Formats: sequence, structure tokens, C-alpha cells
Amino acid sequence: MTGSLTVPNPPVTAAPPGRGGDLPRLLPASGAAPVGLRQHLDAYGALPTARSPGRLLREVAAAGLTGRGGAGFPTARKLAAAAEARPAPLVVGNGAEGEPASSKDSSLLWISPHLVLDGLQLAAEVIGSPAAVLYVRRNQRLHAGLAGAIAERAAAGIGAARVDLVQAPDRFLAGEESAVVSRLTGRPALPAYRPVRGLPRLAPGRAALVQNVETLAHLALIARYGAAWFRNAGTAAEPGTMLVTLRLADGRTSVAEVPLGTGIAGLLGLEPAAGHLAGASVPSAAGPVQAVLAGGYHGAWLPAAEAAHLLMAGAALRPLGASAGAGVLAALPADRCGLAETARVARYLALESAGQCGPCFNGLPRIAAALEHLAGPRPDHRARADLKRWAGQVTGRGACHHPDGSVRFIRSALRVFAGEAGLHEQGRCCGTDPRPFLPVPAARPASDADWS
Amino acid sequence: MTGITHTTALWYASRATGVVTMLLLTVVVLLGILVNRQGRLPGLPGFAVTGLHRNVSLLAVAFLAIHVITAIADPFVTIGLAAAVFPFTAGYKPFWLGLGAISLDLIAALIVTSLLRARMSRRAWRAIHWLGYAAWPLAVVHSLGSSADARSGVVLGALSGCVLATAAALAWRLSQAAREVPRAGRAAAVLSRLPARKAGL
Repeated sequence: MTGSLTVPNPPVTAAPPGRGGDLPRLLPASGAAPVGLRQHLDAYGALPTARSPGRLLREVAAAGLTGRGGAGFPTARKLAAAAEARPAPLVVGNGAEGEPASSKDSSLLWISPHLVLDGLQLAAEVIGSPAAVLYVRRNQRLHAGLAGAIAERAAAGIGAARVDLVQAPDRFLAGEESAVVSRLTGRPALPAYRPVRGLPRLAPGRAALVQNVETLAHLALIARYGAAWFRNAGTAAEPGTMLVTLRLADGRTSVAEVPLGTGIAGLLGLEPAAGHLAGASVPSAAGPVQAVLAGGYHGAWLPAAEAAHLLMAGAALRPLGASAGAGVLAALPADRCGLAETARVARYLALESAGQCGPCFNGLPRIAAALEHLAGPRPDHRARADLKRWAGQVTGRGACHHPDGSVRFIRSALRVFAGEAGLHEQGRCCGTDPRPFLPVPAARPASDADWS
Repeated sequence: MTGITHTTALWYASRATGVVTMLLLTVVVLLGILVNRQGRLPGLPGFAVTGLHRNVSLLAVAFLAIHVITAIADPFVTIGLAAAVFPFTAGYKPFWLGLGAISLDLIAALIVTSLLRARMSRRAWRAIHWLGYAAWPLAVVHSLGSSADARSGVVLGALSGCVLATAAALAWRLSQAAREVPRAGRAAAVLSRLPARKAGL
């Protein structure tokens, strides 16, 4: 299994100039080679450890840092809850990145491991934990690099907390907070059957603080440079920068660091003309684009003409069902069939169901099959009505958000590709290029062992 | 002992509600097995089977309460409030009523844990819900032992029907459990069962 993923060193593009004027923050300005410990210390200075935990907590709160794993929960609130819990919770850096369309976490871990490890160390200090875990997507080269970085720091005497490296199974839901905790207790990485309130528990009386690895990297910089510096980039409501995984219309992918509130048009090279028709495709440097997927496979499709005027920020995207979330942006070229793309992803999402909640493992496969039917020639006229009805029957009925997120994605496709569905019913399709565009891992054998 | 008078009313009420409780508990067990195996009833969605299991349980508990209260209140035999809860302490047929008391205690545990289900671990709730499988046969033996009604005629027929139905449901449950699909494969199993429709372009 190991090493089957592509090496996480996509070309890192220099970010567009932001308001901070000091970007990128998390990744080196050029090149994609791992930053060694010496280079890291030269660039950022020593890990600040003398600060009192309370002061760092206040600084993080003033910075307005939110979780970069997708949910966007205020980091300071989670840290404060963990700092109060006794015994001290285990700190977990979450780099599972189950989302196939995202590679920002593995890029960050590959290129700037010491920034993430700094953040992990600081979080452990704030909450008084003697141990921390780095939970990372299954990839041999990445794990070797991280093990080297951890050993290098231990030899140099940096950080008090011991750091263990744990492999995340190659599943979409492996990074879900309660699934992470389940994996760390030796069980399969499945989401908890019932919703978790507050911090997830490893054992009775022992909680875990699970933070996305990018969040931890930002934490390491806030500890060094302060809240005011952090707020130099981004918007007042959503400060700071975020890593985004961009998939351009020509299929090229890259990871970039951008301030929140950056225009989507600039990121994807879209060139919207004034007075553009709502349903029409938008020219881009990488070819005409018909739609943009924002927020990954639990996010939403947006018509390209609409997306071109939006900013990469929750305030702009959330009302449309999309999210800045884990920072996935994909520009679907005009010559692909959006329904076929959605159907492929929907099948993948259905197969990634943890198989615990009936509405999810019964509903999502039916929805996926109906979408495949709709993506084919001359679908039944009832297919769209069936899909809409089933989508409503699945939403909110799972212990985790897998059915909700999947349905959000599928509903957005029915909305954005409604014209295409109409063409299919007449026996036509505007997709001329049958090659798959969005990345979907091959179907895997289904046994519970695949989750550990 | 023929005819309902003010002295025999409670006795008749207790016997009648006992029979109804037994029938309802059987329905609860059958529905519980169906819910556990994610089975369906014709014309009902999955969650409605769960709802039916809960509502019939509530009805059974109501009849059980009347059955116990009337038996205690009946002046004809002395049972006592404590004997309804503590097994084998009744002044009348202590062994057979004791089995009923154990069954009642187990059912009380099921009710309390089901009310607190959102606040307890699913594993603990499941473990206690397994007691349902013990409460039912105890109730059957209690019925046979403590009441002559249940040893002949229509009531015996009904009780036999209950036992046969539950045995059949248990056999079905075990056969289903034997070919259980692992969690990770459930969605794939559903997908493979769906009628093949032409897909792709």
C-alpha cells in the first residue's frame, strides 16, 4: 500500500502578493525541497518556549486563527478547552488529508515539517501534555522525511513533548476527528457512531486535542510574530493566510498560500468578461472553464461565471454551500461532462461510507447509481426527481457529516449542471473529452482492516 | 370464582393485562430483532420499524405496570410492593412470581438505559439491551408457572404462538448474523445489489 500515492511535492507556486507583503509564510518562496532544521531555524528563529501558556492562548485568540482542516472552528477556543482538561489531553496533529482533491497538508508536511512540529510542540506546552502524535496520510517518503525531522529535533533538544508518528489509513473519512481518535486507540479509523460533544475522548477521562497540521504551522508563527502580524493578511473577519490546492482547467495542480479573501478568478486564472452570461463558460489561461468546485468533495460546484466574482473566504462561499474549508479549488474545463464527473465522485463517496448509519450506506449508493444513470445517454425523466427526494432523506441522518457533505456536493451538481441534465434527457451531452478530470482513487477491497 | 365482582375485579384485571403484556412483549422482541438486523416491514421505511419497536415497548410497559399494580393491590393474595421488585420474596408462589420480578427488573433497566441512551456509550447501551433476550423467556416461564390460565385453552395457544414466532425470529437473526457484511463493505454491497442501468457516455 505504501508509496502508492504520488510524492507530495507538486510545484509550489509563489502566492500572489497579499496585503501582508511577507508571503508566503508557511512554504519557502521558491522551490519544493524540504526545509531542514538549520534552514528552518535561520528563517524563523528558535522555537519560543519561554512564553506563558496563557499569553500564547490570548495571542491566538487575538489573531483569530481558525482550524484549517475544513470546519474552521476557532483554534483558541479549542486550545482553551484542552488547557482546562485534566489530565492534559493528547495533542494530535492531523495530516490524514483524506480528501483526494487536496494535497496541501502533505505538501506542507513534506516541505515545512519543522513548522508543523513547532506548532505541535507549542500546543502540547499550552495544554501541558507530555506527548503528541502526528497522524499522517499513508506515504512512505513522507513518513521517512517526518521521522527524520522528529529525530533531528530530538537530537537538538528542541521541544519537551515526545512526538509519535502514526499512519492514517487511506480513506476519505480517516481524518474525521472522532475517526482519528478511534485509530489512536487501536481501533479502525471510523467516525464515532454518535456525535461527540467537546473534545473527543481516547479513554474515559483522557481527551485528545486534534488540530489540522496547517493550523499548527500557523500557531508556530503566531507564537513567534504575534497576532497583529498574523492579521496583516486576510480579511478582518477571516484573518491570515491559507494553503489551497488548485486544479486548473488543463489538469495542472499546485499548492499555494493565499490570504483569505483572495479572488477565486486570480487563483484559477479566470478572465471574466463584463456582462457574461450566467451559464456560459469563462475563458482562463488554462482553457475555458464551465464550473468551479470549491471546498472539495464535501463542497459545492459553482458556475464559473459566478465563481469568477467570488472571494476565497467563508463569508462569500458559505451561503452558496461551498466553503474555503480545506482549500480545494478545481476548474472544470468546458469540454468535460459535469454530471459524469460528479457521478464518479459520488460513487467514490458512497464506497467511502463507514457503513455504520443506514441512511448513509443505503442512501449514498442509490444516489450514486442514479447519478450514473443521469450521466448516461437518455436518462429516465424521473431520475432527477428521485435524486432530489433521496438527497433530502439522507441529509442530517448520519452520526458524522459524510452524508450531509456528499449530498451538498451532489445537490450543487444538480443545480449547476441542470442544463446538462436536460441535454442528456434529449440524448445529447456537451462533454467531448471523456477523460476523468477530478482525482478519484481506485475502488478498494472492502474489509474493516482497510480502516486501520 | 366466576363473574367479576368488586372483590375479583383486580384479579381479573391482573390476569388479563398479564396476557396482553406477554403478547406485546413478544411483538417488541420480534420488532427488536428486525431493527437489529436492519430488516424492513412492507410499506414502512427503516426508521419506522425502529419507531414501532419503541412505541410497542411503551404500550407493553403500560400494560405491565397495570398488571403489577393490580396484582399487588388485589386483596385476594398478598404479594407486596417489595416482592414486585425483589425476586422470590412474595408470599404467594414466590418462585414463579420471582421470575416475573426478575423480568420486570430487567425491563426497567432497558427503559432507563434507553431514556439515557444519548448520554451513555453505545457499547454499554447495547450490552444492557441484550438483557431483553433474558427478560422475555423469564416472562414466559412466569406466565406458565403462576397462572393456570396459561396452561390450557386459548391462552396456552397464544403463548405457544409467541414462543414459536420468537424462536423463528431468533433463528432468522442468527442466520443473518452469520452472513453479516463487514461495515467497510456495506455501501459496496448495496451498490452491487442495485439494478444495472446503462451508465457512462
